[in-house]
Amino acid sequence: MKKEKRTAGKLLMILMIVFFYLPILYMIVFSFNEGKSLTTFTGFSLRWYRHMLESDDMMGALYTTFSIALLATFLSTMVGTVSAIGLSKSRKLVRDLMHQVDNLPMMNPEIVTAIGFMLLFITFRVEKGYMTMLLAHIAFCIPYVILSVMPKIRSLDPNLADAAMDLGATPWQALIKVIVPQIMPGIVSGALIAFTMSVDDFIISYFVTGGGVKNLSIMVYTMSKRVNPSINAISTLMIVIITIVLVLINVVPLFVAKRQKKAEIRKRKVLVPAALVCAGAAGLFVFFQMGGTKEARPFEGETLHIYNWGEYTGENILADFEESTGAKVVMENYDSNEQMYIKVVNGESYDILVPSDYMIQRLIEEGYLQKLDPSRLDCMDKLADAVKGLPYDPENEYSIPYFWGTVGIVYDKNKVKLEELEREGYDIFLDEKYRGDIYLYDSERDSFMMALKALGYSMNTENQDELNEAYEWLVTCVQTMKPEIVTDEIIDNMAQGRKALGLIYSGDATYVMSENEDMGFYLPEMGTNLWSDAMVIPKNAKNPELAHAFINFVCDYDGAYDNSSYVGYTSANREVMEDLSGEGGDFEGIDAYIPRTGNELDEVFVYNEKIRKVISNLWSRVKIAASNAS
Amino acid sequence: MKRFSQLAIPYIIWAVIMLVLPMALIALYSITQPGNSIISFSVTLDHYIKFFTDADFLIVLWRSLWIALKTTIICLLIGYPAAYYISRCEERKQNLLVLCITVPMWINMLVRTYAWIGLLSEGGLVQRVLGFFGLGGGELLYTEGAVLLGMVYNFLPFMILQINTALCKMDHSLLEASADLGANPIQTFRRVTLPLSIPGVINGITLVFLPAVSSFFIPKLLGGGKYFLIGNVIENQFITVGEWNFGSAISMIMAVIMMLLMMCVHRAELRNQGGKEEE
Repeated sequence: MKKEKRTAGKLLMILMIVFFYLPILYMIVFSFNEGKSLTTFTGFSLRWYRHMLESDDMMGALYTTFSIALLATFLSTMVGTVSAIGLSKSRKLVRDLMHQVDNLPMMNPEIVTAIGFMLLFITFRVEKGYMTMLLAHIAFCIPYVILSVMPKIRSLDPNLADAAMDLGATPWQALIKVIVPQIMPGIVSGALIAFTMSVDDFIISYFVTGGGVKNLSIMVYTMSKRVNPSINAISTLMIVIITIVLVLINVVPLFVAKRQKKAEIRKRKVLVPAALVCAGAAGLFVFFQMGGTKEARPFEGETLHIYNWGEYTGENILADFEESTGAKVVMENYDSNEQMYIKVVNGESYDILVPSDYMIQRLIEEGYLQKLDPSRLDCMDKLADAVKGLPYDPENEYSIPYFWGTVGIVYDKNKVKLEELEREGYDIFLDEKYRGDIYLYDSERDSFMMALKALGYSMNTENQDELNEAYEWLVTCVQTMKPEIVTDEIIDNMAQGRKALGLIYSGDATYVMSENEDMGFYLPEMGTNLWSDAMVIPKNAKNPELAHAFINFVCDYDGAYDNSSYVGYTSANREVMEDLSGEGGDFEGIDAYIPRTGNELDEVFVYNEKIRKVISNLWSRVKIAASNAS
Repeated sequence: MKRFSQLAIPYIIWAVIMLVLPMALIALYSITQPGNSIISFSVTLDHYIKFFTDADFLIVLWRSLWIALKTTIICLLIGYPAAYYISRCEERKQNLLVLCITVPMWINMLVRTYAWIGLLSEGGLVQRVLGFFGLGGGELLYTEGAVLLGMVYNFLPFMILQINTALCKMDHSLLEASADLGANPIQTFRRVTLPLSIPGVINGITLVFLPAVSSFFIPKLLGGGKYFLIGNVIENQFITVGEWNFGSAISMIMAVIMMLLMMCVHRAELRNQGGKEEE
């Protein structure tokens, strides 16, 4: 019977190890996949590694993760140890009080701690970025260090330091030579915990970062919506680094111990590998940080901060821009206009934003944008007529179009017939035949556009009853149809034909259709949102001159071509648009690429603060209703 | 010796600024209206009322607590036997197994969660394996099951390590004594091993339950946009809706609930200790 138990235990252990390591292994394997798929392995290739090494973004994230972790570990270990020693000698009241304070970050849900830090930095107008992330990491690491050092101090003989001083040691010597060596194991384990916490942290970093500074977690979080095997590559690299660190910490002492079998090495047991690790890490960072020296170019050494939609730039455009100007581009991504707006209003500084029509109107009205300098721009005559002088900025004083398009329905031609779409329009999203087989798009504006259009109203309605009706329409939809509410995930999923229908931006539909011939795009006659996203320069931009250069670069044929052909959205550059949709172009025969003109029910969004609030709240309620219905 | 106490002063100042002040700010935001300046603001409980009078928010809160509870129970059911097994191994094997469980924790949580997307997605490995056993069909990714799996995957190591630590600390001669006194293995386990491992279990529960309730990236990555937990609601208020005051109020509510739960757990722990030994 005993034997049986052991086997059962062994089996459990094996299953558990498989459970823990399977995803990691899977990721490593697929980082060598030739294709883009995360489910079928098509052949061995190193392309995702090349992709990763070429991406400043990814290497930057890796650098940020480890440099912050090392710095935070070092500083929090020092401060934590000293404070723990100090606290152990403080009055009991102070000690107990501080114990409670230390418990705050450990006992609070992490998101609460994160929001606390964010509010702190914003209240005191500390610019969010690398420093704030480091401060926050130090702040949440110290309590763990104290927690692991404290018991060791408590178990010390309280007279130890006195004895040392009686023997002639200065307090400092007593501290360094007597106390610290005694509590070394506690310090080391505290440092290890701090390092793990810091490397692993996502939530706190996510809320306190700014200025394009991302660690690996933030990068994965913002990139995870599209299939991107480079994430697997960088994760694999991370796993390799961590494994090396762990092996050094755990295995080296074993060998040493075996050879010497003496207790004396205890001290060195952790110091040697730790030193090795630090040296190795430092070497790595120097390696990452060393860029080749470059000859003088117009914006050598300057930095351009862009805040753009995720997956919204061509493959090479940023690198090409850096190459030709000498400037460094830091790009942050958002997935809704509202998310961007909140950051801008809270004083984060960017040089270029790419908001949509109504949001540009709002930013202009509220005075967050600066006028463009026409003498620095040479792009107006390259633009398509349909995107010039739109109502939100009639003279293009503030904005230069980037992409434009419509919102329509992407559908699987094998599952949905065109006649059905023509008959039902947006109401097909209430057709129970497709229950569980649809995607909605997580955009308050466009979801309400769909509902309002389905009901025959204007999407810019200010009528509360109509909005409520639209809200009911959406709630009915999420409650009866069990849709997935997604953002960019829709692109790869529809390209793989996972669902029958989805509400989609025309540009994403273009990409989907170019990947999968079975997919179609339909614009209901009830009308749609004729949108355009444009580049603007905020008032607090640090480098408007460089921003103007970037706008020109994007509007130029090569830049626009790279952008549009890679992303699939309709270019604002007339020539590029014609070439890509014309004979031999990437998107020949794909109707989603050319936005519809001439339907009187098509509208452009107008900004209205009161309505925005109503819609924003209602949409957040729709999403919660959706989640409560499932 | 006393003079060492001064070493704590810088940290006390730091802790007040970095740990206490943020909480105070959240509390302040949660009872004020947007647009108030620091000099003049009016106190309001509207945000709390809004939360507690809206069934939808309460359902989300309930669901978050419920899934965290499920996660904790599953972790406990798997984690205890695993920790028990590890603690009974010889020392070298023990170290190796503990290392095996620790290694994944060193790899970024986001990365590990992301890895499941490929495994669970349609045509992925898990579905194929299930299909092989005739259990195929049905979506795996973007379901509650996927979220639960992600949570167990991320938090199980905490449970195992905590319980294992407690079991290893235990004096093994107690087991022999118990056996000598005529207890059978099951009795020994129930009367000796289990009570002594309770502190580890409680630590484990805390370390699993707490992050599970507030997690928002696991539901977002594995649950798709439609699986909302309280953490997602808070993130949403701060990142896209922009109602920080309301978001702060939800954060406060969550912090208080957690604190109350932790106090209950702590009290249970104290009672447990009080009954067994007079430490």
